[in-house]
Formats: sequence, structure tokens, C-alpha cells
Amino acid sequence: MQVDAATLPGDLPERLREPALTEGLVTAGGLDDQVLAFPETRPPKQWYIALAITLSALGIGLGCIGYTFFKGIGAWGNNSPVFWAFDIINFVFWIGIGHAGTLISAILFLFRKRWRNAIARFAEAMTIFAVLCAVIFPLIHVGRPWLAFWLFPYPNQRAIWTNFRSPLLWDVFAVNTYFSVSAMFWYLGLIPDIASMRDRTTSKVRKVIYTALSLGWRGAASHWRHYEKAYLLLAGLATGLVLSVHSVVSFDFATSVVPGWHMTIFPPYFVAGAIFAGFAMVVIVMVVVRESMQLKNLITTRHLEVMNKVILGMACLMGYSYFMEGFTAWYSMNEYLHHGFKNIISGTYGWAGWLTISCNILIPQLLWFRRCRTSYFWMILVAIAVTVGMWFERFVIIVISLHQDFLPSAWRVYKPTVYDFGILLGTFGLFFTLVLIFARVLPVIATTEVKGILPGAQPEHGGHHG
Amino acid sequence: MAEHPIPSPDTQEDLPRFWRTLEERHETPEARRLAEDEFLPAALDPADPPPSGISRRNFLGLVGAATAVAASTACDRPQGKVVPYTRRPSEIIPGVANHYASTFQEGTRLYPVLVKTREGRPIHITGNDEHPGVRGKTSPRALAEIIRLYDPDRLKAPQADGKAVDWSGAQRRLMEGVQAAVKAGQQTLLLSGAVLSPTAKNLLADLKKALPGFLPIAWEPAESESAREGGMAAYGTQVSIRPLLDKARVILSLGADFLQGADPEAIRAFAGRRKPEGQAPPNRLWVLEGPMTLTGSNADHRCPVKPSRLGAIALGLARELVVRKGLALPAGVSIADLPEGRPAEIPAPTWEGLLADLASAKKEALVLCGPEMPAASHAAVHLLNAMLGSEALEIRRQDPLAGRKEIRAALEAMKAGRVGALILWGVNPAYALGDRDAWSAAAAKVPFRAWIGQIPDESAATCQLLLPENHWLESWNDFGPEELSTLQQPAVAPLYDTRQGEDILLGLLRPGGGGDTVPADYHQLVRDRWRRECHPAGSPVPFDRFFEAALHDGVLRGKASPAAAMPLLGSAAVQAAKGAPAGGGDFELVLAPGCHVHDGRYANSGWLQECPDPVTKTTWGNPLSLAVSDARRLGLKDGDVATLSVAGRSLRVPVVLQPGQASGVLSLALGYGRETGSTARGVGVNAFPLLGPDAASPNLRTGAKLESTGKHVELARTQAHFRLDGRDIVRSQTFADLAHGGEHKGHHVELHTLYPDQEFPDHKWGMVIDLNACVGCSGCVLACQSENNIPVVGPEQVAKGREMHWIRIDRYYEGDEENPSGTVHQPMLCQHCDHAPCENVCPVNATNHSPDGLNQMAYNRCVGTRYCANNCPYKVRRFNFLEYTADKTEPESLAYNPEVTVRPRGVMEKCTFCVQRIQDGKVRAKGEDRPLRDGEIVPACAAGCPAEAIVFGDLKDPKSRVSRLAADRRGYKVLEELGARPAITYLADLRNPAQGGHHAG
Repeated sequence: MQVDAATLPGDLPERLREPALTEGLVTAGGLDDQVLAFPETRPPKQWYIALAITLSALGIGLGCIGYTFFKGIGAWGNNSPVFWAFDIINFVFWIGIGHAGTLISAILFLFRKRWRNAIARFAEAMTIFAVLCAVIFPLIHVGRPWLAFWLFPYPNQRAIWTNFRSPLLWDVFAVNTYFSVSAMFWYLGLIPDIASMRDRTTSKVRKVIYTALSLGWRGAASHWRHYEKAYLLLAGLATGLVLSVHSVVSFDFATSVVPGWHMTIFPPYFVAGAIFAGFAMVVIVMVVVRESMQLKNLITTRHLEVMNKVILGMACLMGYSYFMEGFTAWYSMNEYLHHGFKNIISGTYGWAGWLTISCNILIPQLLWFRRCRTSYFWMILVAIAVTVGMWFERFVIIVISLHQDFLPSAWRVYKPTVYDFGILLGTFGLFFTLVLIFARVLPVIATTEVKGILPGAQPEHGGHHG
Repeated sequence: MAEHPIPSPDTQEDLPRFWRTLEERHETPEARRLAEDEFLPAALDPADPPPSGISRRNFLGLVGAATAVAASTACDRPQGKVVPYTRRPSEIIPGVANHYASTFQEGTRLYPVLVKTREGRPIHITGNDEHPGVRGKTSPRALAEIIRLYDPDRLKAPQADGKAVDWSGAQRRLMEGVQAAVKAGQQTLLLSGAVLSPTAKNLLADLKKALPGFLPIAWEPAESESAREGGMAAYGTQVSIRPLLDKARVILSLGADFLQGADPEAIRAFAGRRKPEGQAPPNRLWVLEGPMTLTGSNADHRCPVKPSRLGAIALGLARELVVRKGLALPAGVSIADLPEGRPAEIPAPTWEGLLADLASAKKEALVLCGPEMPAASHAAVHLLNAMLGSEALEIRRQDPLAGRKEIRAALEAMKAGRVGALILWGVNPAYALGDRDAWSAAAAKVPFRAWIGQIPDESAATCQLLLPENHWLESWNDFGPEELSTLQQPAVAPLYDTRQGEDILLGLLRPGGGGDTVPADYHQLVRDRWRRECHPAGSPVPFDRFFEAALHDGVLRGKASPAAAMPLLGSAAVQAAKGAPAGGGDFELVLAPGCHVHDGRYANSGWLQECPDPVTKTTWGNPLSLAVSDARRLGLKDGDVATLSVAGRSLRVPVVLQPGQASGVLSLALGYGRETGSTARGVGVNAFPLLGPDAASPNLRTGAKLESTGKHVELARTQAHFRLDGRDIVRSQTFADLAHGGEHKGHHVELHTLYPDQEFPDHKWGMVIDLNACVGCSGCVLACQSENNIPVVGPEQVAKGREMHWIRIDRYYEGDEENPSGTVHQPMLCQHCDHAPCENVCPVNATNHSPDGLNQMAYNRCVGTRYCANNCPYKVRRFNFLEYTADKTEPESLAYNPEVTVRPRGVMEKCTFCVQRIQDGKVRAKGEDRPLRDGEIVPACAAGCPAEAIVFGDLKDPKSRVSRLAADRRGYKVLEELGARPAITYLADLRNPAQGGHHAG
């Protein structure tokens, strides 16, 4: 674009420039020293303490899973009619947590939102860890887990095919695809950074590992050309998955006949909820990471504020969804839907309904205030509220809908057992264990991407290169 | 074979001398080609090219390889021993069931039954269809006898002083004990249950002759003493009352729960007379009662009243019938003896309607009094029936049964040292007397105590000699009355080293151990009596064939002896009727035998413990029922533990709020709180100690008190919500509506679907359930449990909602919470939907639709995602949350039906419409080369339903009974609007309220 510079105010180029995405003086070399040095230093004592806590939680979870395998699903609180409870709540919850990563790394990439660069790596890693936590549940929740592989359509001599009409089978494909694409995407982004670490490290063992993992990356122009293309393609692929995975998960409910599940709003509602929950988790983890790893100059307050804005937007979408759920129930003139919605606000589990509404809609409204968006206290409060609220939203959808459906004779109250809580705790343990290990062994920030947004990295910034 | 021209004989000169085939001899081109080939391409028909290009050699090669591969995969399968019969028992064909007719005695009641055996072991019980009374139906408790036979707690060999002994030693010990008593001039007390068999009575008479001081006392703790007292007052002797409900147009029940599952005859007659297609006008049931009973839930008019008032109400009715309706009083009764008319607690329209009904029905009217009600109300009811001239009941003299008064007297004799030997046979006084200390003190004074029974109980612990008895399925016996004798025969050889009780007693007739004139065994005794008394003299049929025929049928019709007329002692009856216990105090407490555990004898049966009480829907225990208003007043909720005290005795018991229960009335079941038996121990509370000392009203206690303890327990309840919240799930209408062609107001739904309808080439199985006939007795539940190997899961699992019954009976109240205007029982089972919501959500195709319309479940394929159960609108799918079956070993596993897979943990299951019976019927029909007959296939629930409420058949056959019923005006489908297209049609419940009378008072 040709602009006559003489007609414009002198400082316009400065004003048009995006605010800096980093704080202070960050140089390419300094960035490498700051980020890539972590894996080469000994972790601090706090890290070991944290790891001990998360491993204990994981151990409890594994113990509870072991007990479940030994006893059967009866170890849990599931009953008739609440055949699904914590198992599927946790599954949907963790799949949801994973959504922020893909959204940040893929959709925001395609939209050229450069602020994502600093947080994309961590968010992607969280996606993978969250999906790992999620896939535990479909495996352990079946009555005969040793036969869970029957959910895969593979040729067999019994000539029995899977049932392609079942949304659970769609889940199998959706989650697997999601996991594989996310993992590939993450790994692809890691390659240049791993190559940098290979070049930096002095330890022989690390050298071998990093050499293998960096797949012969030399940083040649052809490498970068292919890399950028592959990254763009995978981003395009992952974008579709952000929308499809949780839509498919919502089909488990939406295509059934259960009042409270059978709703056309579910797919967009689930996707919005997933992004919501995912961002809240990213905020929590990011705050801890930037503080404990002295990354304030790379993950700036502005990053946190933008994420909080996304959370606020999603909270409003959730509010709309909840309202529409109620409106549909009322407008349908269907007594079963009426009853189902009444249960959310006033039944045995009415408290869960109100907890969901408060945590997901009311508390996030705090983020309208800039002060709350930039204050650790408030943003963590909101993020924890959203995490709790979104877990309970799935509780509301699954348990409240199931515990009173069509025939009053079959209604029954559900009570979780200690094993249900233990397994939930265990997945948090697994998630944070993986997060902690990741933070110490791999670059938590995509240095190559951040280098691209450093001042002066982009030729058009600050210059008059027509 | 392709045609090859064979040359005519005139060209024979050139033919070879030796030849193999005609073709070769005549050198057809084909034969030449074959001769050149060393190997024939196909073995059988050279002209026919091998199909699909597989030659015989290749085929054999493939078969060999396939066999090797198949055999190699079989290598690691678990190895089990299969031992074929080397000499097959003549009656047993593996895979083919044998049925034996027999008779089950429970107290003073007899149930003629058919026992289905497979490979020699009994697996299922139904009613004997040769018997005109039961017509193939039986009680839930008789059905559950199967697992009592295989109860692992049964004593397996005799024990003396805690040590195992052999039978000769045990019999000798018994003889010594009794002889010592005889020598010491002391009594030998035989305490037993009711003895109904004529042969056994003869045996007891012989023992009496042979053993000086031998004193048999028959005691049934569950039999009503107040009914006996009332009958004694009215007729001067012990009487038994048998209602003939098919003859009754107007039935008034004063607390009588005659529909409770024990009596299939009553249910069949009652429900049979309510079917709109029947000839006789439908009956009308009026119920005045304190607790809510199953009968009350089936009433056309029900009015909650305090039980202590029932005698006065009955006398008031009698007075009004005389004064206003012109009925005559019996001789010796003056109108002045009868109190004033309508009692205050009964609303005027109910009272007037009832009076008008009774007066118009007269001999078609029947008044029944609950066994637990005081003797006064029994006497008043005898008076009413006599005034009405009711022909709907049969009153007979009954063999005297002891009451608790007589047992107390026996205890005194024991304490005083007058009893030298005590033999307990099938009774458990240490428990059922409700006074353990008194029993132990008295028993300690008896030098010799023997116990004959199956499962060592509280009383066995007080005896030195334990003699294990056969189960009745291992025993011989015979029963009267003369016009319809029934036989009991063993369906299986004794499982353990046990003997029949009668055989043990028979041993006492052989002082020296020698046989001389005494028959070898009781079987011989039964045969001898039949030869003597039943075999018609001069009959051309030899006795052996006569006896075999009787055994085959299980029943023998003899000469009918008309029941002797029983004149009512009018003034005595009135006097007794006025002697009702004074009301007052906080609460009246009704103590009735447990619906399923009876007097506690079935408490060790998991099937019966887990079968929900038809009214409260509780299992595994006896919570105290109380009125909703009383519970509010005391601040009690379901499951709250309260202290119940009456006359200085108290116990802590959880409460259950019972809609319809009269305010101020509590009810508690007897038969729980047992201390022995691995299943029975600690389930519920023992209410026997609360029984009153007065024989005129032991089961009704006034002045009971109830206090909250502040504690709470989880009730093992199968249904916790009883209100319909306006949902169109059960429908009911009146006979009048039906007569006027009134359609039920339930909405009809136009259903559209995008999917093509499934084709059903041969059959389309379906069911019709008549809510009008169903009384809610649970017969179907137990029949299904026995037929389909339904596991028992225990109270904790039931409380968590994990019971496994494939069929359940949903019970809904209508109207007011405290006094519902109606109750509907709805059997709920898999609806075998054509568009089943469960089928399309199973990811592994484990549940799908059969070509004959069954929604079938492939257990082997099920991985247990439970999605199907979530998506089932009827919630009839059952999931094996835990391993309920693998730990079952012999003898319990012997009760399994070999036709039905036992499901492991993690697998979903549900009703199959008894697919094994469908297959059996199809195979049978095919073997006989005929089409299936309508009604030939009967699922277990339908066979077990005394009310004949369940009809099964082929909906594709428009003439079948099920098709005709499904098209009935009353027909509707539950949750039809969901579009699942269930295969079960429900017929709306019918009520028969009196003209102008308000429904349910």
C-alpha cells in the first residue's frame, strides 16, 4: 500500500504498531538462554515438593482404578438410573480442558493473533495431557475394560462390526483423531526448539535424545519452508477438530432420548463450554509458570488480560446457552423437559445447578473490570470458579438428567463413593505431574515463534518498506 | 449328471474286455479324457466342474489346515471334565426337562405344584395345572422353594452334641432319649408345624399308642389366634374359612389382605371376576383397614380406620342392614345388642354405598376379616356373613392347632420337669415365641432335646441331637381332603445325608431296631394307606398303575363329601364381637406375618428377601409403616430409626411413610430379625416379642408408642417415588366408562419416522399386560428370577439401586398423599421396542433386534458402556455392577436354569421374553411338523401370574389372543410419544365404584 507519508501525523506508525508482546529487552539469544536453559539446570526444591504431591494424587487415583478393576464398576456410586456419573463427567471435563490448547495454537494462529505465540506451547501441552486424562475414562468406565478394544472396528473372525450408529463410536474416532493431530501439531512445533537444545547441550545423553527427537533439523531455509507449510496445514486440520471433538462428545447426549440430553443446542454449547474451561485452566497454569519460572517478560500481563477477555466472552455465551436450555424446556410444553429443568434449579441437586450458574456466569462477570482482569487474585478466583463450575455443569447435565427421567418408579438419588473422588483426584495428579515434568524437560515457550514477534524481527515493523 | 450318449449294443465288437464304467467301455470322449488324467478333478461327478474352483484336493487341504488352526486355538481354553452317562438313568435325557407333580405344604395351606427338573435337579416350580383350584398357578413363596432346596446352610448330616454321627447312631440316640422319658414316666413332647397329611396323622396316632406319654402339639406361629378365637366364639369349634371369590359380587374386607401373594386361588378368582369380558358382573371391593395392604391398594373404595374399631363397625353394619335393609338377625340375637349405626370415621356416602351394595348382593356378598384383627371383629364378620347368607365362603371344621397359650402351658410342663424328651420338628419356638429366656429356661429342664429340620435355627442351638430333614422336594407325602387328594413325591434324591421327618419318627416305632410289622419307610406307609383307602375296591386297574397315575397327575379326585352345615352361635358371636380391645394410647400396632418371609421360615431365602414388599417396595427388612400425617407430627422421614414400645417391650426400627395408612396405626412385619442362617441373620427386627399375651388379640396391640431416635438408615427400597406427577404412564377408568364406550382421555400420538419399518417374516412376539387384572403380588418377579437365573444382590446393592430383577412392579398412588384415592400396580419389563433406543447407541452391537421382534442382548459381546441403559426410557436394563454370580458354587449353582446364560460382572442384561421358551416351543413345533399354536409359548412371568394379567403371543397372527387384546379399547403403550414402538400393550386399569359413592371413600 502506498501512503503519502507527508499527510500523516509523524507518530502514526508508532501508534498503529501492535503493543509489544514482550516486556523489557528480549533478544533472541537472551530468549534462548532464558527458556532453553531450564532443562539443563537442576529443578528447585519446590518442584520436587510439587511433584511429590501430584504423584501422590496420581498414586491414589491408580489405586482406585486398580480397585475398580478388581471389584467392578460397583465400586463407584453409579446406579440405576444414573448409569453414568463421575466417569463421563470427568471424561467430558478433561476433553473440555484440552480445548484451549488447540484453540490457541490453531485457530488463533490462523487468525494471526500473535499474542498466542508465547503461550501456545504450554497450552498445547496441556491439551495433550488433558486428553490423556480424558481417555482414561472411556477405558476404565466400561464394565469389562479388558474388552474395550472391541470399540475399534477391526476385522475379526467373528465378523462382528462395530455399530456406526452409536455416538460412543463417533467418540472413539473423534477423540483419537483429536489426540493424534494435537500430538503431531505439538511435536512439529517442538522440533526447531529441540534442535536448539541439541545444539546448546553439553551432556552426551541429552545430545543423543535431542538429536533423535529433532529429526535432523538444521534450520535450513528449506526446512523452515516445509515446517511453516506443515504447521499451517496442521493448524487448519486442528481448527476443524476444535469444533468437531466436543460436538461429537455432545452427541453422546444430544442424540439420546433422555430429557435434558436431547437438545439441539448441545454441540455449540459444549464447544463454548470447553473453550471456557480450557482457558480458565490455562490462566491458572500460566500464572504459576510465569511466576515460578521468571517468564514475566515473555508471558506478560497483557497475555493474561486477553485470555481473561476470552473467558468473559465465553461466560456470556454460557449464560445464553443456559437461558436457551430453560427457554426450550419451557417453550416445548414437554412435561419431561419441564421437570428436568425444574430439577436443575430446585431438585435434590438444585445446589449443583446454582453452583454451576454462579461459577460459570455470575463470577466471571468480574472480568468486566480491568482491575480483575489484571490482578492475580481475581483472575485465579474466576479461573478456579470456572473450573469447578464447568465440572458441575457436566454433573448437572449427566446426573440430574439421568436421576429422574421418564418413569418416576425408576428415579433414584446418586451418591458418589470415595473411589469416584479418588479417580478424579488421580487425573488431576496425572495432569499436573505431566505439566511439571514437561516444564522441566522441554521448552515451555516456543522460542522460535517468540523470536518472530520480538521487536525488529518482522521487517514491516517500524520501517517504511512499502 | 450330464448326458452322454451310450452307444447301442450293436457296436460291441470293439469294446474292451475289462471296463470300469459304461462310459469307458464305450469310449466316450469324456471317458478318454478322464482316463488320461491321473487324478480326477472332482470326486463324485466328473461332469460337474468343481464349484468356485476349489478342487477336492484343495478342499481337503483347506479342511485339514482349518482343522489344525481351529484345534490350535482351542488349546488354551479352560479344560473341564465332561463325563457322559455310561448307563443313562431311564428317565433322564440330557437337555430335556422332566416335570414332576408334587405338593408344597406351608402351614395349613397346600400348593399343588409341578416341579421342572433338568438332568435330575429341580430348577423351576409352577402350579399344577391338573388341580382345579390353582390351575397351573402357585404362590411366590412356593416358587422360591427352589433355592431353599439348594440352601448352603442346610445341615448335611446328623449331629449329636456338636459332633457328626451317622444315622444309625442318631436314631439310636433318639430312641434312647425317648425311651428314657417313657421309663421315667415323663412326657415326650413333639412340637411340630401343622400336620395335614392323613398318613402322618396315622403315624402320630401309632406313636401315641406305642409310646406312653407321647404328646404331639402342632403350632403355626403365623396362623392367627384371634381368628381362631373368633371362630370358636361363633361356631364353638376351630374353623377354617375359605373364601370363594369367584362367587362374590360385593366383597368387604375388614383388614383382610387376601390378595397377598400366598394364595394364588384367591387372586385368580378375584381378578377373574373383574375382567370386562367375563360373563358375571364385575365384583366390587370395599376395604376398611388400618395399615395399607395389597388388597387395600386394589380396592374400589377404601377407607382407613383404626383396626380396634372394626368389630364395632361390623356390628353397626349388621344393625343398619336389619333396621334399614330388612335383613333378618340370626336366632338369639336382639337388635338391642347392636350399637348405633354409622361410625363417625366412615363418611356417609361410603357407608350408604356399602350398605346398599351388601343388601343388594346378599348371598353374593362376602365379608372377610383380617387374620391379625381382634377376635371381636372375626366374630362380628361371622355374624354378618351369616346374616347375608353368603355363599361365597366355605367354613370347615379344622384340626386343632395350638396357640401361644398352649405353648406357654407346654413350657410350664417342661419347667416343672414333666417332660423327659422334646422333639422339635419344623418349628422354631426359641425365635417365634418371642421370649428366648423363657424358652431356654424351660428347655434346660428337659433331659433330652432333639431337633428335626433343614437349617439349624435358634431352637436347634438349644438341642443336643440335630437331625437333618429332607426338603419337601426330596420327600414323600400325601394330603387330603378326600375329594381332592394331592401327593408329594421327591423330585430329586436327597442332596445330603438327610432323612424325611416322618421317617425319623417312624424309627421310634421300632424299639429294637428290627422291622417286624413296621413298614420299611414312610414312602411305604403312604403307599399302604393309598392301597387301603384310596384305591377303589374292585377296580380293574392294579394298585401300582393307579398309584403311578395319581403321582403323574399329582391330584386324585375322590368322592365329594358335602361340608357339614356350621350353625352360627348368634348371641355368643355378638358377645365376642363386643369384646374388642379398648383403643386409646398413641398408636395401634398391627403385627402381620411378613409378606415374603412369612413367620421367618423363609428368611434365609435371598429371593424372598430381595423381592420387594408389594406395598412399601422395601426389601431386606421390615421397616415400620406409619401414616404420613403421624410421621410429620413426629418429624420422621423414610429410613429414620424410631423406638417402638408397647407394654414395656421396645425395639428400634426404621420407619417408612405409608400413604393410605390410617392415622394412629403402625404396622410391622413378623419373621425378621433372625439370628441364624447366613442370609437371614440380622435382617430386620424380630417383632415376635411384641405379640400380645391375649389370644383374642395378639397381633393388634393398642397403646403403642413411637419416638424418634434421631438416627437414620438407608432403606433397601426398589422404588422411592410413588407419584405420577401427571404423567400419562398408567391409565385407569371405570367399568361404567367402558360400558358407555368411553375412551380414556390419554392422548393418542401420530408417529412419523424416517426409518423404514423392520420386516418380521415369521413371528412378531408381543405381550399384553392387563393392569386391571394385576394385583401386584410379585409372582411374576419370582418366576422370572427362577427361570432366568437372576442374581440376588443384597441389601446394600438394592439400596444403591442395583437390583437385578428383569421384571418389576411399579406402584403409583393417585390423589392425596395421606389417603390416596387409588393405587395402580404396573409390571414393567423390557418393552422390546421396534425402534429401540437402546439398540442404536450400543457401540459394539451387543443389543439388536431379532427377526421375530425381540430386542436381544448378546452378553458375550457386551463390554458394559451402559449407554443402552441410560437411553432406555423404561429403565428396565440391569447392569452387573459387581460379580454377582461367579462366587456361586454348588449347591447354590444347582438352582440355575441351564437354558439361560449366567451373566458375569460388567455385562448388561434384561428381559428376553424368555427366549429359551420361545426356542423350545419352536423346536417342539418343528419336530412335530406343525405350526406354533397360540398360547403354546408362555414366558415365566405369564406362567407365574395368578391373575392371568400377562398374555404373550404372536402379534403377526391377527387371530392370536395377544393380537386381539392389543387391539382392545383399553390398550395403550407406555411413553408411546417417544416413538420407540414398544411391543407391550398395557390395558387400562378398571375401577368399579358404587353409583354415586365417592371413589375410595
